[in-house]
Amino acid sequence: MSGHTEPHEPKNPPGVPARAKSRSGQKEAGASALAELCSVRVGQTLFGIPISHILEIVGGAHPQAVPLAPEFVGGLVHYRGDVLTTVSLRHLLGLPPHDGKQDILVLESAGGCFGLLVDSVGEVLRVPTSDHEPNPSILDERRRALFAGAFKLKDSLLVMLDPERLDPLRLAGMAA
Amino acid sequence: MDELTREFLIESQEGLDRMERCLTDLEGRPQDTDLLGEIFRSVHTIKGTTGFLGFKRLEKLAHAGENLLGLLRDGKLSANQSIITGLLQLMDGLRGILRTIETDSNEGHGEDGQLIGLLNELQIVEHSAVSVEVKAVKASGQAGALPLPTKPSAPPPQAIVEPVPPASPIDAKSNVEPAGDAGKPRPANAAADSTLRVDVMLLNRMMNLVGELVLTRNQILQATSQDPNLTLLSRRLDMVTADLRESVMKARMQPVSNVFSKFPRIIRDLSHTLHRKVRLELDGQETELDKSLLEAIKDPLTHAVRNSLDHGIEPPEVRIAAGKDPEGVLKLRAYQESSHVIIEVSDDGAGIAVEKVRNKAIERGLISAERAAQLVERELLQLIFLPGFSTAEAITNVSGRGVGMDVVRTNVEKIGGKVEIDSRPGRGTTLRLRIPLTLAIIPALIVRSLDQSFALPQGALSELVHVPPAKVASTIEWMEGTALYRLRGQLLPLIFLDRMLSPGLRGAENRERAEQDNFIAVLDADGRRFGLVVDGLADPEEIVVKPLSAVLKSIGLYSGATVLGSGDLALILDPGSIASRAGVAMISQEDRVEVVQEEDSQAAMGSQYLLVQSAERRAAVPLGDVLRIERIPLSRIEYIGYRPVLNFEGNLLPVEDSGGVLAAAGGNPDALLTVVVCREGNRQVGIAVVHVLDVAAGSELFEAGTQQRAGGVTLLNQQVTGIVDLGAVAPLLAGAMPDSYSTADWNQPTEILA
Repeated sequence: MSGHTEPHEPKNPPGVPARAKSRSGQKEAGASALAELCSVRVGQTLFGIPISHILEIVGGAHPQAVPLAPEFVGGLVHYRGDVLTTVSLRHLLGLPPHDGKQDILVLESAGGCFGLLVDSVGEVLRVPTSDHEPNPSILDERRRALFAGAFKLKDSLLVMLDPERLDPLRLAGMAA
Repeated sequence: MDELTREFLIESQEGLDRMERCLTDLEGRPQDTDLLGEIFRSVHTIKGTTGFLGFKRLEKLAHAGENLLGLLRDGKLSANQSIITGLLQLMDGLRGILRTIETDSNEGHGEDGQLIGLLNELQIVEHSAVSVEVKAVKASGQAGALPLPTKPSAPPPQAIVEPVPPASPIDAKSNVEPAGDAGKPRPANAAADSTLRVDVMLLNRMMNLVGELVLTRNQILQATSQDPNLTLLSRRLDMVTADLRESVMKARMQPVSNVFSKFPRIIRDLSHTLHRKVRLELDGQETELDKSLLEAIKDPLTHAVRNSLDHGIEPPEVRIAAGKDPEGVLKLRAYQESSHVIIEVSDDGAGIAVEKVRNKAIERGLISAERAAQLVERELLQLIFLPGFSTAEAITNVSGRGVGMDVVRTNVEKIGGKVEIDSRPGRGTTLRLRIPLTLAIIPALIVRSLDQSFALPQGALSELVHVPPAKVASTIEWMEGTALYRLRGQLLPLIFLDRMLSPGLRGAENRERAEQDNFIAVLDADGRRFGLVVDGLADPEEIVVKPLSAVLKSIGLYSGATVLGSGDLALILDPGSIASRAGVAMISQEDRVEVVQEEDSQAAMGSQYLLVQSAERRAAVPLGDVLRIERIPLSRIEYIGYRPVLNFEGNLLPVEDSGGVLAAAGGNPDALLTVVVCREGNRQVGIAVVHVLDVAAGSELFEAGTQQRAGGVTLLNQQVTGIVDLGAVAPLLAGAMPDSYSTADWNQPTEILA
């Protein structure tokens, strides 16, 4: 990753709120526009992923390791007749590997489908888009590249993930 | 419209679509030779096919474009805006003519002179001056002043007369489609009317789903085996699934006659153009092959046939002079051999003159002269597969641009096949394409390593060797960190799968190896033989190949993944990549040639060596280099500085003694020693040895590129023996310098002081 803090994603300049709004824009009828998010937990943190990007949630999967694969690859899983490459969110966040079964979110990005390995999947939340805040400026660069701001929930923060930024191809490009 | 023309139209359209994509990419990466190669091939194929179909106008235009592209591909020109614009116009021009052919069954009478002129001009532009280029760029920027054929010059509908958008190439491209639609009413898919062209992707998808079904069935069968109520149902499911799978497989199979049938006409036309008399013999037309594979071999076959006629079969008068039937025979033969279909293109022509191949390869800079001198006949034949190779004296319409064999090999290897060539001067040439039956489902051996299952395609597997723990130490030999296994007297380089897949594993494994069973899968991938050492073997299975994501594909060692009957996933290993990965250290610049050399390790067998005994070791000297063997007393050896020399028939020979023979003689002036006098380039060197043991045929070990010094070792009398590197004996000029003493080594890395 370069020393640049700004555009990592040419298509989505880091004006994160803009993107978040446009994503939840389908429901943007008035001031009370709601974003539909699926909450997942990795380590201590609660993350959110727009449900419009989620194809399916596969529970209790055991990915098959791929020797020599980039480190962020969590392995392969069998998904509807295809072999799906998964990305380990734990690894991306620098957390130790999880022992035991993890849940997989099957996500759709421009580059195709991939799986996101998370500790557990929570529930679907409807959050007013007005509660969204961009990434704080003190966030380290690595996380800034992955996160798309956060939603202020009543008692905690929900960190937004952008499936496009988690695409294995893009991660591989970043690692290079 | 006949079948051939219809096919041609569809193919050419696809070729142009490809070209269009590449051209757009080319703007961003003007130096990308792959792109240029792809574009070149598209146009080349159109030009080639159009020749026999008799579309002169199309041929002329494509020929002009090909000339320009040839320069680009060879790096003599670099693609700039005006060239790309020109190429896009070429594409539009070709499209226009193709459309006319589709509507009127003839190519119309449009005038392409201007466009051809432009393409010719672009070839020179770069050579002469930049200013011309500037002009061209400027010209393409403004509509009116365009010196290009943008105006319909003749009425025939749409042939080239599509107004070529005079703006930037990007606009030109984006306007292509509307321009095409403007030609309405377009004959509704005239060419594709009668046949249903099913997307191969869809067939692949069906195959995938069937594979999935098979898997689910397997699991259901397992789950229900205990329940008598479900037995009947599950058995029925079993049968239906098997039937369905067979049907889908069948839907993808087509007889090779679909491809063969277009050759009679091609040969008739081609033999006419080339003034050859040729009889075509077809054999095994009913052999079936997967549709996508059949599609993929069409191009290579056409190129191969064209080569046979142009370079292989001689003109009748030459044949008569050589005492042959004036009519040459070209045989196309297809047959199944286990899981492969073999397609042979053989002619009884002149064969390939290997010397000519050697010279051409050197002349074209594909290989260095030194290197070429070392290659044996079979290796030289492989050179014709290098890109840019051609022995044709003149570039003709038929062939000679040096794409033919390159295309053949690239396309066949892309589908997991192999190309073999066999040629006898004066007797003819046989080209053998070895094509896997189907790509979707392959037989594979499941192997275990790193506590994981991997699938090894049976096609590459030639045998399995079990090495029990007790025998590991004695049967696996080590040479400088490289493991070798002696398989029926031949050294087989070994690659440890676990070590390759887990680079961190290096140190500890040797001891562990000795405590467990080892299995060596002897693989033959792209002509390289090596043994892959795995921890265990499971059953062979028919596996359904699933593609990997781009990230994992780029690792390079896996060709896909599959779901095993147990429900586990297994990665499919790609033996060819494993071989080349293991040889990465050695294969550098002359990559492809190295590969060629390794492909023919068998052919290299049988070189003669003089086996000598030095103080402690045995070593081999290539017999061809030995001039004399002299038995002399130690007193004859004199010294210049630290270097021992021998006055031999009035010449001074440096005496190579890294074997320590002189020292072992202990200064006794009467002790006899043997000096092997060898030729090394233009000079002579002596090698001090205790005595000469034997002359033996060494099996040369071009060992699949696993280790650097593979060439410095041979198998003599069943023993691995180092070959003395004569070239490394330092010349005497530098000999007075102490530190150059004994620079030549017995098969150790050497430094030559100049």
